[in-house]
Amino acid sequence: MKAADYYLDGPAPETPEPRQRQDRWGETRVVGRPLPRVDAYERVSGSAVYPSDVQLPGMLHAAILRSPHPHARVKRVETSRAEAMPGVRAVITHQTPGADIAWYTDREGATVGHLFEAHCRFEGEAVAAVAAESPYQARDALEAIEVEYEVLPFTSDYETALEPRAPAVRDGGNRASEPGVYERGDLAAGFNAAEVVVEETFRTPCELHTPLEPHGCVARWDGNRLTVWESTQGVYPVQSRVAQVLGLPLANVRVIGHYVGGGFGSKLRPGKYTVIAALLARQTGRPVRLFLSREETLLCAGNRPANRMRLKVGAKRDGTLTAIEFHGLGSGGAYSGSGTGILDWQVRDLYRCDNVRCTTENVYIHAGAQRPMRAPGHPQCSWALEQVMDELADRLELDPVELRLRNLASVSQGRGGIPYTSNGFRECLEEGARTFGWLAARSRARSEDDLARGVGMAGGLWIAGAGGPPSTAIVKYFADGSVNLNLGASDIGTGTKTVMAMVVAEELGVPLDRIQIEHADTATTQFATASGGSKTVPTDAPAVRAAALDCHNQLLDMAAEELAVAPSELKLDGDHVVAVGDPEKRVALREVSDFRRRQVVVGIGYRGPNPEGKATCPFAAQFCEVEVNRRTGEVRVLRFLGAHDSGRVMNRATYDNQVYGGIVMGIGLGLTERRVLDTGQTGKMCNLSWHDYKIPTALDVPADVTSLPIETEDVECNTVGAKGLGEPVTIPTAAAIANAVYNATGIRVWEAPLNATRLAELLAEREA
Amino acid sequence: MLPNFAYVRARTVEEALEHLGGEDTRVHAGGTDLLGCLRDRVFAADKVVSLRDVEGLTGIRRAADGGLVLGGLTTLAEVSRSSEVRGLYPGLAQAASAVASPQLRNQGTLAGNLCQRPRCWYFRGEFHCAKKGGAQCYAVGGQNRYHAVLGGGPCYIVHPSDTAPMLLALDAAVRIVGRAGERAIKLAEFFVLPEVELARENVLAPGEIVTEILLPPAPGLYSSYRKVRERGAWDFALASVALALRSIGGRVTQASVVLGGVAPAPWRAEAVERAIVGTTVDEKTARDAAAAAVEGAEPLEWNAYKLPLIRGIVEESLRRFHDYQPS
Repeated sequence: MKAADYYLDGPAPETPEPRQRQDRWGETRVVGRPLPRVDAYERVSGSAVYPSDVQLPGMLHAAILRSPHPHARVKRVETSRAEAMPGVRAVITHQTPGADIAWYTDREGATVGHLFEAHCRFEGEAVAAVAAESPYQARDALEAIEVEYEVLPFTSDYETALEPRAPAVRDGGNRASEPGVYERGDLAAGFNAAEVVVEETFRTPCELHTPLEPHGCVARWDGNRLTVWESTQGVYPVQSRVAQVLGLPLANVRVIGHYVGGGFGSKLRPGKYTVIAALLARQTGRPVRLFLSREETLLCAGNRPANRMRLKVGAKRDGTLTAIEFHGLGSGGAYSGSGTGILDWQVRDLYRCDNVRCTTENVYIHAGAQRPMRAPGHPQCSWALEQVMDELADRLELDPVELRLRNLASVSQGRGGIPYTSNGFRECLEEGARTFGWLAARSRARSEDDLARGVGMAGGLWIAGAGGPPSTAIVKYFADGSVNLNLGASDIGTGTKTVMAMVVAEELGVPLDRIQIEHADTATTQFATASGGSKTVPTDAPAVRAAALDCHNQLLDMAAEELAVAPSELKLDGDHVVAVGDPEKRVALREVSDFRRRQVVVGIGYRGPNPEGKATCPFAAQFCEVEVNRRTGEVRVLRFLGAHDSGRVMNRATYDNQVYGGIVMGIGLGLTERRVLDTGQTGKMCNLSWHDYKIPTALDVPADVTSLPIETEDVECNTVGAKGLGEPVTIPTAAAIANAVYNATGIRVWEAPLNATRLAELLAEREA
Repeated sequence: MLPNFAYVRARTVEEALEHLGGEDTRVHAGGTDLLGCLRDRVFAADKVVSLRDVEGLTGIRRAADGGLVLGGLTTLAEVSRSSEVRGLYPGLAQAASAVASPQLRNQGTLAGNLCQRPRCWYFRGEFHCAKKGGAQCYAVGGQNRYHAVLGGGPCYIVHPSDTAPMLLALDAAVRIVGRAGERAIKLAEFFVLPEVELARENVLAPGEIVTEILLPPAPGLYSSYRKVRERGAWDFALASVALALRSIGGRVTQASVVLGGVAPAPWRAEAVERAIVGTTVDEKTARDAAAAAVEGAEPLEWNAYKLPLIRGIVEESLRRFHDYQPS
């Protein structure tokens, strides 16, 4: 699977060739500096209008009635009592004309689920929806809808979903697809050649995205034109899906998403809520606001699937890997999500090994659908692979960093051996270890009182992070030297707008406060793919750079006539154009007659193609120190260091924030988070709140976190030299913690999350 | 969404009592638990009677006998900051500051912390469990990682309060006021197990409120509270232990050891008390006493980890006491 396939939904337009050759940046003036965000004031002051803040005159409020059972058939829906309630303006179900919409399809394109489903296959499946004058009236009306369910047997444990007695989620049984098989070399020969073999089974929990702003939108019709303000990572994917489902021309669907309060992958596409809001708005002739409750966001707005992974690794005495065998199992829920998507990628690609076999099994269960969550598959795989590497180092009496250094891959083996455009994994490991003080911390004697200290590390890479076409950006340079930057990309909190403005400032010498940004609006800004896959900067920054250069070149062309000097002999110097060899020859831009006549120069930039036959990946190594209470198994993370090769650092401040944020999320996987289903009884979700689904608090995150950029010079990946960052930063975190806990206690915890609820028993067993 | 209800702000205890007593009438003190229960439909409410404007329910004062009287509506933040509490009953200050988060401690009250409803997700969620009048306790065969290992059956909730085990260890009493009059009872008589009362966690009759918490004098008292949780804030105890000890020359003369987060009510670990009274709590005594703490425990499928956890924090707390003693 190519990473692009994973994220793109629907056809993408062809991308024209870039307009001109773009030289590699030498010393930069703006790019790379730790500059504050261009929208910091709006975000901090509350004046930024998030989609959930949108209030329109006459706006109604909608809510969705959901199946309380993981598996049930709707025998009867009675809405008349709800319809008669005060303030209720519309009630729709699968029986409502126009609302019988196909939603889920199988691989052959056949419909397997509808917008409102009479056969509910997960708790939270939409059954009906209401629009009312107030959110309270809408929720009250939901309770007045009478639904008669035939409750059916369910399967909620993915590990037993393939057993014959497990109730089937779909007609064809619970195998969601043929097992994925990847193979290279001769596995048996590899294990025969091994002098040490480590084999273990690992489990990671189902994690939830839990963005601060719930999923949802406001929808308004103007005749046959639909406008949607959606909390989304990509306005264009929302536009294409909504247009397709409602049978509208793309031009008639305008999606606006200027701000989004977090998505982490769960907002790459529209939800049923988007279409339901549009239907209710059309039926009532009023704008409709439909945002999920917090509980709904936890129940049915996506997840990182739980995984069971069996990993067997063989190595020579000197640490050289001879064979890796991986088996992964997972479930994407009841429909089309994958439980094992790109789960095995790091096994295929991270360490040099000639003999590799990976199998993955993707099964159905009666639970909400998976959606990509920050580096899908990778933190889970890292939990297994990096713990096995640590164990291997232990058995071989090698330093864990050294073992990894002995197994560096020079090419992308998972892609058939093509080279990387850049690979800073060695530097991540070496410089990370040096800056962390790895060897000294490692050799410190374990304390013998109740609190044991240990250090651990893990490496990683992210399959994607190259970005690629298409992306289009437009830069308008006005007569007074102010600039308007227009691009379709969403800023999902990562600082996209700031980074793009810095690219313009770099090329045109315009101060950041003279740059206005229009973005994430399908009616007024250019096509962009969703912000996901760590690809927004490597995708869109080159397009922005090309647009700025286009402006720049047009300005020089105009001044060349004015000064009678060849454009190649000119350069932009603030609001003047100067001849390179003769500083006397200069003209203020506002005096350039052609420019004065036009008043504005419009530059268009396209993202060019990625280099052929090469792979672009970000690399990572993280190091941490923990303190473990030997009696209770309480784990405290004392410090962390993230060494990341994501190519050029575009803005040191937003860069560091990504590193910190990724580590915080990884601490959640390692120590606190897990979705709990009432397996075996009701199949319902138990921890349906932010109290019971435990994301880390400020007290669970160390104050001492170091971001160490490994700024490899990547002259091939794209014209700005940056690779993705948002996802690699969370890949090795949990495994590094597990390895540190082992270093402190001598106990390996194969199942995440790792905290006192597991470690207390393991410590006691060892005592006894 | 909250249900519709009438809201009354009483000015006096008497006025509050007039409004209370209906089946679905609820008392509002800090509201941190009440609002969650109403939103989750744990119970109904047709009338909510707020005590926030009632005078005389807050504050901490010395009692005539040298103990302390804490108003029921004193916030947990005030309890944890009070110099008198910290000086006389440091364990109570530790317990109050271990509750939830700063925001919740600023809003939540001490009496409310004692009377809060359990956090069992079957009780809080859409499950018609035994405690809510249903046929079964889902925790028995379900997801019981956070459930009782001691004193459970027919319901396996754990009492969620951090201050309750400490106050029980301190031999505190509560003043209870109702239309029928007022009474003061020891906390030892306040909490009830589900085998006695399935639907309630304490002896409060409908319409009764806790107005004061009464602490006996503290001369020579050592107290401590130790809590284990999965994350650093906004988390209830996986297990906790409250110690209140008196000693002469390093030898324990009186001991009260109460466990939290492991039983449907704060759980007095009498075997631990017996094991340490008369000793100096040396290393071996602490270890043996800790082992005794889980005598009779009956873990469910997923909560056996609580046994080593209890042993661990009891031993740690006893050793702290030993190390603390002036030689």
